[in-house]
Amino acid sequence: MDNAAMPDPENVPVRIEVTDGASIPDPKDPRIITAWSISLFGAILTLVLLCFCIPDRYVPIVKKLPEGIWITFQVTVFSIIFTIPLGCMVGLGRLSRFRPLNLLVSTYVEVIRGIPLLVQLFYIYYGMSKLLNVPAKVAAVVSLTFCYGAYMGEVFRAGISAIPKGQTEAARSLGFNRVQTMWYIILPQAWRTILPPVGNECIALLKDTSLISILAVPDLLRVAREHASTSFHYFETYTVVAIFFLIITLILSKCVSIMELRLSHYDRR
Amino acid sequence: MFRSCLLALAILCMGACVALAAPMKVTVAHDATWPPMEFMDDSRNLVGYSIDYIDAVAKEAGFEVEHQNIAWDGIFAGLAGKKYDVIASSVTITEERAKVMDFTTPYYEVRQALIVPKSVDVAGIEDMKGKRLGAQIGTTGFMAIKKVDGINALTFDEIGLAMEALSTGRLDGVVCDDPVATNYILENADYAAKMKVALIIPTDEPEYYGFAVAKDRKELLELLNKGIAAVKEKGIEDELRKKWMGPK
Repeated sequence: MDNAAMPDPENVPVRIEVTDGASIPDPKDPRIITAWSISLFGAILTLVLLCFCIPDRYVPIVKKLPEGIWITFQVTVFSIIFTIPLGCMVGLGRLSRFRPLNLLVSTYVEVIRGIPLLVQLFYIYYGMSKLLNVPAKVAAVVSLTFCYGAYMGEVFRAGISAIPKGQTEAARSLGFNRVQTMWYIILPQAWRTILPPVGNECIALLKDTSLISILAVPDLLRVAREHASTSFHYFETYTVVAIFFLIITLILSKCVSIMELRLSHYDRR
Repeated sequence: MFRSCLLALAILCMGACVALAAPMKVTVAHDATWPPMEFMDDSRNLVGYSIDYIDAVAKEAGFEVEHQNIAWDGIFAGLAGKKYDVIASSVTITEERAKVMDFTTPYYEVRQALIVPKSVDVAGIEDMKGKRLGAQIGTTGFMAIKKVDGINALTFDEIGLAMEALSTGRLDGVVCDDPVATNYILENADYAAKMKVALIIPTDEPEYYGFAVAKDRKELLELLNKGIAAVKEKGIEDELRKKWMGPK
């Protein structure tokens, strides 16, 4: 029976790491032909070929969609701007030793993560319209920020708690107070670990902005649906929408990958 | 002699088989968010004028109907994809639509109504320039708004969502088919207190609802037209109109 208390190295359950976002290309991969480049150039080539071969169907769609991309872009950028500080605060709150704050933040994360984003959007825009009468775009940014703040908080929490305890101990013994330790020692180091998953969440957020089309916000998907519903070119329209989203997420994932490379400059080899 | 008798018998049998075979089953799609034309009642049954009408047509023309509730946004794609045979969902016959699908003879005449908050006075649709007008995506109401330059046209998945947005002040008006507009105002006390049907948008030609079928279904189209003619002749149409739209 004593064996049960002793962890047997062969019986330790295997843990796998899987994220739901887009995969970030490995910044140190020197090859030119990768899944990323095939997808990107494949998407661009398909789009160009379609516009070239069947211009009367595809060109009007491609001309119409940029106004939707602009809205999608606005909502994404504003949501990310508000989400990252919120996520940082949530992450710190989750690690706080002040129990009421910790409980409050943990409950927020628990509640938000248990409700589908689509339901949250309906809730904030239509459900709470009597209390909080905001324009559709604001409602979209608020919902996305609240939703992704919870997910981002978990990323920050994991990143901060991954920094070895010795760092805190060293900083405290050098005379840093707790806030200074967090701000000057822990967070700059944690940021490196956090960046790829944060980038991943941002890309996931961009993809989820397609849900805001239910609020009559003329985003990429809504503009496309309006076009499809009057022209009846469903296949063509949704093909172009898929390609647009793919190109945007691929470019973003490359940006995250480049940022990761620059931040990993100080990593011990 | 025996052989020809046998042949005659065989032909007779085949004829009888066809006659005795179960009546043809036709699947019909509705977007049940358009009261009083087609909607869900409290016990989640598909009801409304279009539903009763197609049932009456089926009875007259001798086929069986299977109703399906389909979201409006993809309803025409589903017809092209052969997911169902007929759309009976207040589809206005338009030139663009008639290019990609066939329509039966009209079964209802409809116009576009503009709903605005009670406090607002509107003389014509042109007064709404620079304002936010809502409609359901892909409807003739949306096309009517789009025709006027300078209106900020917003589309909703369901007309009910547009009405709600209007009632909470996020829209300056909603455009939809007149029976639907009247129904929303009459049936909902909250809306009746806040909103009114300001005007009917004048058009050169009246709009008509028709049942839509795929381009290659001529025999089904003929069958439906036969049924519609019978329904009109027997006065069933007038009864249905009284039932759902009330006496004029």
